[in-house]
Amino acid sequence: MRIHLSVAAPLVVLFSALLAQSSFALESVKTPPFERIELENGVVLLLIQRHDVPLIDFDARLRGGARLDPPGRFGVANLLAGLLEKGAGQRDALSFAQTLASVGGRIATSASVEAISISGSFLARDRVLMIELLADMLQHPHLDEGELDKLRSRYIEFIRAAKDSDLATLTPIYGAAALFGAHPYGNPVFGSERSLASIVVEDVRSYYTQHVGADRLILSIVGDFDAQEMKRLVSRAFAGWRRARTPLVDVVPPTPLEQRRVLLVDAPESVQSYFWLGNVGVSQADPRRAALDVVNTLFGGRFTSMLNTELRVRTGLSYGAGSRFERRAQPGYWAFSSFTRTETTIEAIDLALATLERLHTEGVDLTTLESAKKYLLGQFPLGLETGAQWAAQLATLELYGLSPRYVDDYTAAVDSVELGDARKVIAEVFPKADRLLLVVIGQASALREPLKKYGPVQELRLSDPVWSPDH
Amino acid sequence: MWRTLSLGLIVIASSAVAQVPGKSEVQAVTLANGMRVIVWPDHDIPNVALYNWVRVGSRNEVPGITGLAHFFEHMMFNGTSTRAPGEFDRTLEAHGARNNAYTSADVTVYQDWFPSGALETIFELEADRLHNLSFDPDVIESERGVVYSERRLSVDDSQFGRLLELVQATAYVAHPYGIPTIGWPSDIESWTLDDLKSFYKTYYAPNNCTLILVGNLDPDRTIALAKKYFEAIPSQAPPAPIRTKEPPQQGERRVSLVADAQTPLLQFAYHGMAGSDPRLPALELLARILTDGDASRLHRALVEDGKVAISVNSHVEAGFDPGLVWFLLALPAGTDPHVAEGVFDAELERLARDGVTQTELDRARNQALADFWRTLTTIDGKAQMLGTYEVLRGGYERLFEAPAAYERVTREDVQTLARELLRRTNRTVGVLGPSSHKLVAEEG
Repeated sequence: MRIHLSVAAPLVVLFSALLAQSSFALESVKTPPFERIELENGVVLLLIQRHDVPLIDFDARLRGGARLDPPGRFGVANLLAGLLEKGAGQRDALSFAQTLASVGGRIATSASVEAISISGSFLARDRVLMIELLADMLQHPHLDEGELDKLRSRYIEFIRAAKDSDLATLTPIYGAAALFGAHPYGNPVFGSERSLASIVVEDVRSYYTQHVGADRLILSIVGDFDAQEMKRLVSRAFAGWRRARTPLVDVVPPTPLEQRRVLLVDAPESVQSYFWLGNVGVSQADPRRAALDVVNTLFGGRFTSMLNTELRVRTGLSYGAGSRFERRAQPGYWAFSSFTRTETTIEAIDLALATLERLHTEGVDLTTLESAKKYLLGQFPLGLETGAQWAAQLATLELYGLSPRYVDDYTAAVDSVELGDARKVIAEVFPKADRLLLVVIGQASALREPLKKYGPVQELRLSDPVWSPDH
Repeated sequence: MWRTLSLGLIVIASSAVAQVPGKSEVQAVTLANGMRVIVWPDHDIPNVALYNWVRVGSRNEVPGITGLAHFFEHMMFNGTSTRAPGEFDRTLEAHGARNNAYTSADVTVYQDWFPSGALETIFELEADRLHNLSFDPDVIESERGVVYSERRLSVDDSQFGRLLELVQATAYVAHPYGIPTIGWPSDIESWTLDDLKSFYKTYYAPNNCTLILVGNLDPDRTIALAKKYFEAIPSQAPPAPIRTKEPPQQGERRVSLVADAQTPLLQFAYHGMAGSDPRLPALELLARILTDGDASRLHRALVEDGKVAISVNSHVEAGFDPGLVWFLLALPAGTDPHVAEGVFDAELERLARDGVTQTELDRARNQALADFWRTLTTIDGKAQMLGTYEVLRGGYERLFEAPAAYERVTREDVQTLARELLRRTNRTVGVLGPSSHKLVAEEG
């Protein structure tokens, strides 16, 4: 690593905010006592008092997200999220930003496939202002046309900037669009250059009217406050809020890929190829979660994983290789990815596929299994250390209808995973090497022919303003 | 300890000069061999963050071995005389630990995050590689490929990284801060086994290391164990100091990079100050006034009002020697970088001429203070910050004075700094865009 990696461009931050959602819970640490209050209009309020630090963190989620984007208008939910702080209540965009900065507060907005999120962090003394700003954003956003135009133009440019400087973050976006296709999970959350250009303020206002309202809100607040006072503040601020106009319908499960397909994205100037292989995985509530996490850890979830050992440690083909589950209400994806110089692209993809095959044919040994369990459990508490992490965890549990036992029982569940459990989930969940979508961003002139051996190849140019040939 | 920490924050809330709690709980010792060990107990979660700060970075390199400090960082995971390549990572992970490392111009920092029960194992592994590192020629070649891939990812395939490297190399004519930490490609291809051996001998001595531990620890026991595992490693003659000082810059430097990029980039790098400089808090607040948040000056002028940039960020380097103050702009596709530069210059001229308002200063101060406290909510944040103050900012004790230091900054301090540092003659400007743009303007 070195310093300019940490001075990442804002587009990088935006994309990683969308993509880097890991929902680990804690080790021997248990969910702290929390209160769950449902207002009459459907707002769900979750409270944990922590008086250790005089900070308050909140995580507000609006059920729905990018899966409700109108056809072809990908990015509406995400634009709405960004627009919520560009003027709300009595404050225009500038005044809102000044007020927030004047107390050292932080607010971040984003969308995912299944929710719009607003997270915030304030000093405890500013709790009244915090609730006022949040209530204004949710209930009285200006959704101003001029602000929308600015934001939309910038978001389009952020995509172009990412294509200029951060190819590795783009493969999962191409991957999800191609894997899920017309299923709502295929909606590119951030939108594409083309879809964003077509969005007008009425799209955003209509989304807001139809899909945003009290019955969609999960508000999780953790920190240094008095619960009675916080309940009063939130009730007063949200009790009069209307419900969303359109009922929220469930998503149907996506269909897994039954053969191998290739999407080649031509980046003629690139010196490396960035590849991603994935198929439909599991849902948030999947009962095999612990065994799946253990197997994913040893396959591609840590430094000594099978994948990183092959592609980095043993061969030096790449700076890194890894795999992960993206879990949703319905099965999301499981994918693994890496990158290597153009000349070694096929060698690296072959090796990645062979490593996956080896997982199926040879399985795992007891030493590796126990090590992966230890690793998962040892790292578990680090993901639930702060108020912000707990606020997010509670909101996630509520969003997916999971009980605190999802967190509290995790240690025991991981601890009890045996070789037979690992074998079972490898066979049931981890795709075979011939059933994957392969995305490669790289020099098409060098890769077009050799990639054909993996299956039918579709092609895009990096400069094309879409994430899928079908958009 | 969280309980005491909260007392400090309550003081902040009443807006008196803030006291950062914890100073009395931190224990710092220097072992007989010169190694510094600093322990900050925090029992919030059953884990520990360990940071080993080694005082070597790309600042210690010369042409021919650029990138070696970073390559060495990679080799520190690849085997000792008592452990085969890969065993370090395997043992560590099997004990529930994760590791990483980073290299900057000034330091190389090795990090472990682990359940506190694994402390002794981690100490054994860390001491082993500090004392017994060995180099397998095959592993050197394989790791060379890894680092080259890292360079391709962060520089060669990144227009942002390419321009940053060029501007940095141009900003320094004498001081080794001009060397890219990842290394020039021809040097990546050429490092030898002997380069590594000599580097290990020169810089990887206990007296050149500062070990920071934060987490679920008993300080006395931790220090006793540190003595057990590290004190026997012999000290060495300290590395030669870096003698070169960058001569004052006497005129603006401009570089351009013609690239097939959609979004032009514009970067400014001004010579700034070292981490131990007492004016650093004022410089940090100045940078926040310009770029922190949607209410900041440059964001307003360039992004919201002028619409001539899609983003503007700043970054203040403050290491052993005076670093750069960066302003990093991304521009909308097809726009002329000179327009954005004009808006940027006008804002900086206004700042030097009229200074900042008390409201702006208070806002930046509150942002800095709140972010400071947020960093202290994790053992990892504490370890990074404690090490930064100890190694680069004149002593860990200064961490506990940080809020007071922000409190002391005046409007005059900020304006004086802006006038002194943010001058055209003190900067390097980098422009990246397609060839159709006229990238290099006349000297300002």
